[in-house]
Amino acid sequence: MQALTKALGEVAKVVLGKEDQLKLALTCLMANGHLLIEDLPGMGKTTLAHALARVFQLEYRRVQFTSDMLPADILGVSVFDPNSQDFTLREGPVFTQLLLADEINRATPKTQGALLEAMEERQVTLDGVTRPLPKPFFVVATQNPSDQAGTFVLPESQLDRFLMRISLGYPAPEVELALLAGGDLREQARQLKPVISSEGLVKLSAMVDKVRASHELLDYVQRLLEATRTDDRFVAGLSPRAGLGLLKAARAWALISGRDYVVPEDIQAVWAAVAEHRLSARQGGSVSAMTQSLLQSVAVVRR
Amino acid sequence: MRVYQVPTHTRLWLVITIIACSLPQLVRGPAWQAGLLGLVLLIRALGDRQRMRMPGRWLRGLMMVSVVALTWFSFGRIYGPEAGVALLVSLFSLKYLEVVRQRDAYVVIVLGYFVCATALLFDRGPGLFAYVLLCMMLLTTCLVGINHSDTGARSWGHLRRGAVMSLQAIPVMLVLFVLVPRVAPLWNMRIDSGQARTGMSDSMAPGEISELSRSSELAFRVSFDGPAPPGAERYWRGLTLSHFDGRTWQQAMPRGMDRKDYLYQAGDKEPDWYRALMTAERGEGYRYQVIMEPTQRQWLFAMKVPVLEQGDAGLARDMRLVANDPVADSIGYTVTSYPDLVRAVPLSEEERSLMLSLPDRDVGRRARGLAQQWRLDADNPGQVVNQALRYFRQQPFYYTLRPPPLPVDPIDEFLFVSRRGFCEHYASSFTFMMRAAGIPARVVVGYQGGEPNALGSHLLIRQYDAHAWSEVWLDGQGWVRVDPTAAVAPDRIEDGLRAALSGSEYDLESLAALQSFANSGLMGRLRQWGDYVDFQWQNWVLGYNSQSQMQLLRQMLGSASPLRIALALLAGITLLLGLYMLVLLRQDRGYRQNPMEREFWRLHQRVSRLQGQPLDAGVTPGQLAERISERWPRASQAASQWALQYQQALYNPSVTTDRVRLRHLRRLRNRLYKLLD
Repeated sequence: MQALTKALGEVAKVVLGKEDQLKLALTCLMANGHLLIEDLPGMGKTTLAHALARVFQLEYRRVQFTSDMLPADILGVSVFDPNSQDFTLREGPVFTQLLLADEINRATPKTQGALLEAMEERQVTLDGVTRPLPKPFFVVATQNPSDQAGTFVLPESQLDRFLMRISLGYPAPEVELALLAGGDLREQARQLKPVISSEGLVKLSAMVDKVRASHELLDYVQRLLEATRTDDRFVAGLSPRAGLGLLKAARAWALISGRDYVVPEDIQAVWAAVAEHRLSARQGGSVSAMTQSLLQSVAVVRR
Repeated sequence: MRVYQVPTHTRLWLVITIIACSLPQLVRGPAWQAGLLGLVLLIRALGDRQRMRMPGRWLRGLMMVSVVALTWFSFGRIYGPEAGVALLVSLFSLKYLEVVRQRDAYVVIVLGYFVCATALLFDRGPGLFAYVLLCMMLLTTCLVGINHSDTGARSWGHLRRGAVMSLQAIPVMLVLFVLVPRVAPLWNMRIDSGQARTGMSDSMAPGEISELSRSSELAFRVSFDGPAPPGAERYWRGLTLSHFDGRTWQQAMPRGMDRKDYLYQAGDKEPDWYRALMTAERGEGYRYQVIMEPTQRQWLFAMKVPVLEQGDAGLARDMRLVANDPVADSIGYTVTSYPDLVRAVPLSEEERSLMLSLPDRDVGRRARGLAQQWRLDADNPGQVVNQALRYFRQQPFYYTLRPPPLPVDPIDEFLFVSRRGFCEHYASSFTFMMRAAGIPARVVVGYQGGEPNALGSHLLIRQYDAHAWSEVWLDGQGWVRVDPTAAVAPDRIEDGLRAALSGSEYDLESLAALQSFANSGLMGRLRQWGDYVDFQWQNWVLGYNSQSQMQLLRQMLGSASPLRIALALLAGITLLLGLYMLVLLRQDRGYRQNPMEREFWRLHQRVSRLQGQPLDAGVTPGQLAERISERWPRASQAASQWALQYQQALYNPSVTTDRVRLRHLRRLRNRLYKLLD
């Protein structure tokens, strides 16, 4: 647990004033889930991914998605080797532990699909040969919400593959001041001290599953899910998979908070990040506000 | 065809149930029945484990034919209650082999309800009744079980549910028991319980009553409404015997009198003596209920002079009750006895001559001489009676259960030679002498005394209380009871047979039999309790016959018309169902809030009210504590303590939530209350 706090502290050195988002990102990693960061350019998305990779000693690659990209550019390609008279596989950037997929919505659905399939299966099949991806394997994808020209919006079914969606937002004034006063954060991220090995991270995520949830808590989760389904402001409610994800994220959050059992606060803490991107409003209105309002109306303790 | 398998979680219950339902018959019936059931269970067990093919159609047919043959062989027939029930139970066990569809399992279970109820044909005691209820509970358990589609269901859960359902059915059973009119059975099933019961016969020959005295079987039970008369006054008259052939006393009717004159039954024309009896001054009486064991005879037992209050019986001229039918089942009746009423009974000329008749000269020659001598010496018949009693008291007569045989002349040999006898000898020879002296006399047989149940509710009269005594007609006094045995062995009358015989030559075996019925020790107490339960059962459950039912219904409903009974039934059952529904509705308001959850909402409501603005429903315990701290800073410590404890209790699975913790939380909350406002 102390290692986790320390890891958080390290990352906070380069992503200034965003403790909550950092904690969520860490939670997502611990819960073995993929993270979608939705933000304007220059908010520190890449720095965050970089810092996470560094602190956890993860092998890190970055792919900038463009509309002319093909699946092979990500997954890899078989190349004929004239010396051995045989095809050998040239692995794509996906064969890494932490993949930063920048501006994922710029790629064609075909390419997006290839990546998302790899995310779900944690393996890649090329020319009939199935190859597992390294462990752990995380995708941190980013997308730009405002600049929609020439993009392919991720459909809801694909969004479901991401455990969480967060956005960093502008820094607070004093934080920004400190940022301006400091140096190149991207460079500093490269200098961060590793805190936990990638094996340690695997062990930690195994511990997440041992965090216990009481019957009353599960009941609360169920009623939250139910509320999204009966609320007719939403097009559709959360799926059971989303419910499992919510619980898993809450478990990880509880572990980071130093508890071996889940409390409703854990659920509420990860609720927005887990639920928002899976829900869409029937007619206008802010999904974010609607999702948040459920936390107020659904009774934590059953009455 | 796919063979239906009884679900594994129910299979054992079904086997237990089949055994339980057949058990009363297996105990009572021939041994091969138990063997058959064992065989069926074995085949079924092997078949269910795929170790053996289930027997085919031909084999099953063969088994059925042999079962019918064996039943015929054991009982000599295949109909009638005993053979019929035996056959039914055997076919019930065979049916278990045939369970290849779920429907068959239903058939077995529904048949089981019938099979276990047949046991009540042979015994109606409270014990067997409880056992049948248990069987029904097991059957219901099986029904619950085979209807469970979930293969992982818990067998104990079935028992629980079956038991709950059976218990819920009991109030309905009681309503039906009280209200559904008893109809006379469509067929009369005469079930003899195997061996002939001991009991009074309709004649008295020497040795018959002493034979009866060796049995400790129950004859009848009496419970008095008021105080019971003292032991020496409790003469339960059964029969009067007025014809003597020199050896045996028998019932007889006076010449020229027909049955209608002699026996008054309700609805008949009232004979003169009956009218006289009913109009006479009655004096004090004893009111009591008698519950009689079956005797297969018509006479009932009562003290003198009985006036029937409830029951089916007529009154005979010799002041005894006669049932309309032989007593084949235990029956109950209520009587008031008026000792003084005996004066109102007349003695007709025909009766007088019957009560004076003696056998031909050969028998009791010396006794006749002695009696006539007494008559000559005496001024009135009363003195003769006293003289005779004095004779028994002063001469060396012995009271014994083992009198020597009196092959030639049972009167003279007894009176002048052996002088050892039992009550029947004394009653017989005394009556004989009274007749010889010209005093109308008769022998009465019945029971005398009775042992009170320790729980005080009733008297038990057993076969060893059987007794014989005399009645003589004295002008102005009517029929007067004279008990010559009392002159010889006063203990017999005061304290019962055991007191009269202890220390004497009464054989050890019988003595042991009597002693085991002594009310000492734990066994004695248990027996007393068992008897008490049995008595109440007889009184309230078996005694609730159509007559007492009609009486109760008239009291409850005003009149016992079919419409009112139907309405009462409907109302009773509707009321019960309504009650159940209320309970269900109370239980099933969606989710049952547990006390822990209530804790939270109490505080939630209090804070909402105090701050004058409702809190969100989605407030966590921690957030609630924060809200309190913001508004009432001095309560902040208590609030966070409460929140921590509450959070632990509700969400930490390794913390047990028990009553202690709940009480602790409640204390914390109350302390918090004081800091608010």
